[in-house]
Amino acid sequence: MAYLSQYQYYDNNGGSPQEANWGSYQYVSLTDIVNNFLLMYSGNHSLINNEERYKVLFHAKRAIQELNYDAFKEVKVLELSVVDSLRFVLPHDYVNWVRISMYKDGLLRPLTENIQTLSSNAYLQDQQGNILFDQNGNILQPQYSDIDFDRIRKTKKSIYLNSGNQFDNQYGWNYDGMWYFDYRIGDAFGLNTETANFNPTFNIDKKAGVINFDSSMAGELCILEYISDGMEGGDNSLITVNKLFEQYVYAAIKYEILNAKFGVQEYIIARARKDRRALLSNAKIRISNIHPGRLLMNLRGMDKIIK
Amino acid sequence: MINEVRNAVLSILNKNNYGYISPSDFNLYAKNAQMEIYEEYYSSYNKTINAENQRGSGTDYADIESPLAETLESFLVTNSLTKSTDNKFFVPSLVTTGDESYYLLKLLCYPIMLTSGIQSGTEVTNNLVCTTGNFTTYGIISGDIVVNTTTKATSTVVSVTSNTQILLSSNIFPTGAPTNNGFAIFKASSLTEADKVSMGKITMLNSSNLTAPSNEYPSYVYQGSVLELYPSTISTQGQVQAVYFRFPKVPKWTYISLVDGSPSFDQSQTDYQDFELPTEDEYKLVTKILEYCGMSIRESEVTQFGMAQQQHEQPTFSMQQ
Repeated sequence: MAYLSQYQYYDNNGGSPQEANWGSYQYVSLTDIVNNFLLMYSGNHSLINNEERYKVLFHAKRAIQELNYDAFKEVKVLELSVVDSLRFVLPHDYVNWVRISMYKDGLLRPLTENIQTLSSNAYLQDQQGNILFDQNGNILQPQYSDIDFDRIRKTKKSIYLNSGNQFDNQYGWNYDGMWYFDYRIGDAFGLNTETANFNPTFNIDKKAGVINFDSSMAGELCILEYISDGMEGGDNSLITVNKLFEQYVYAAIKYEILNAKFGVQEYIIARARKDRRALLSNAKIRISNIHPGRLLMNLRGMDKIIK
Repeated sequence: MINEVRNAVLSILNKNNYGYISPSDFNLYAKNAQMEIYEEYYSSYNKTINAENQRGSGTDYADIESPLAETLESFLVTNSLTKSTDNKFFVPSLVTTGDESYYLLKLLCYPIMLTSGIQSGTEVTNNLVCTTGNFTTYGIISGDIVVNTTTKATSTVVSVTSNTQILLSSNIFPTGAPTNNGFAIFKASSLTEADKVSMGKITMLNSSNLTAPSNEYPSYVYQGSVLELYPSTISTQGQVQAVYFRFPKVPKWTYISLVDGSPSFDQSQTDYQDFELPTEDEYKLVTKILEYCGMSIRESEVTQFGMAQQQHEQPTFSMQQ
């Protein structure tokens, strides 16, 4: 891809959207990656020869996907409100979550993943417990299981210390400046810190493609931070790689092709593998941005006296 | 060169009173001899590459690959392919491109079509006029490709004059009253190479989630006399160009008959065609034609002479490796 003029970069040549090219210099496109690889690493006098372009494209995309899973640290953020169904449909390009938060009163509150289940399928049964089928032999299912229904009706209790907790709003007594309650949270064995969280909780149903929340999340705003695979919905023209990883992607393609090719000597494959690994390490160090300014901010906390 | 070759052949044949070959026989042998040598270029080129990889070739005057590559490249042509149906285009042939393809080097596509329509309004020289056009809104810029889909002629955009008129680099639409020729305009910067895929792989490739043919990475399969392009949206005349090695033209030694009946060389005739091989291969042509002549006049000595000359003068790469 040709270099952009400054006018093109800042104002998209007067076109819309104005911000189309902002920050684009950090990235190299998939088209350039494939083109450069075929030009520089493939040919009559190269280790790689007579390989179809679609193989190069495949390995380039796979390398980019792998980088997106962890090394890039490119986290996408989506805000949606959670309605009475207490579900948040996962984004179309969702692969894994990083953090789920509730945005309320100007504060971002990180939510805890519920260690218990919040949702279930159910089969219809008769009074003898026999499963009921339709005329095609398929099991009959209700729209909601009881656990789902209770959660949506806000009658399901939570083991977490939020508004769904069975002891929420219970009375207590103050005696000699100390509070006493009828229930035994943290009484004999101390507080269970795993569930000691006031905020709503969630479970992710990966196959169903939804996040299920407990009832205290109804009507609240949810902020989902997640990672994708960088495939941009299949639009090849939008797929890019951070330049810090460019050399790694070439090395990854080279290794994958040599590794899958018949008759390539093991020492050549081993060299390609080492090359790939070293370049990945270098790129990860570079993108982690460890520099004195950041370290200084952390080290300033060293002298703080913990009371 | 063809007359020199013929003279040499006749001279060798006559030297020992082996006989005479007619112009029509000579032309037949010339065609075959040229084709044999032409095909040898490809296998020789492959051998030079292998020799290079084994440090068997150097640079400068020791470079054995470049002269061969230059000879091959003299047969390299680029032509727009004629559409057959849907996403199918005819392979280069005498009918569609004026020459036949020996080896298809690559296929170039303009996958992005900016607009298309029917030419209308009074046509001005070097212009495309379409009274219902809206040319300023399609992002057409200088250099984009304009195709007359009726005549298959191609030109490039110089500038967009107005919503209904584009100035072109050449005249591809008949001037004057509208002839209702079709046109299509392709984005020049979208030019990309289509990947050749075997018929055995194309079904899987089309259903692949990561590598299915796309505007950025199109593919094609060779099927009989047509090339089938993917994605199937590549289906407009002018959208596909082939870069290929064409067959050498059939040589023809033309003549006028003199009064005594012996033919005299005449290169002014319309069907005259010289050899297309480089001058350094003249001796190969002579020896190969001699081989054929020896077979024809049943003189094994002539055939053996031709073969011996070839072995003597023609370096073989198998000896070098």
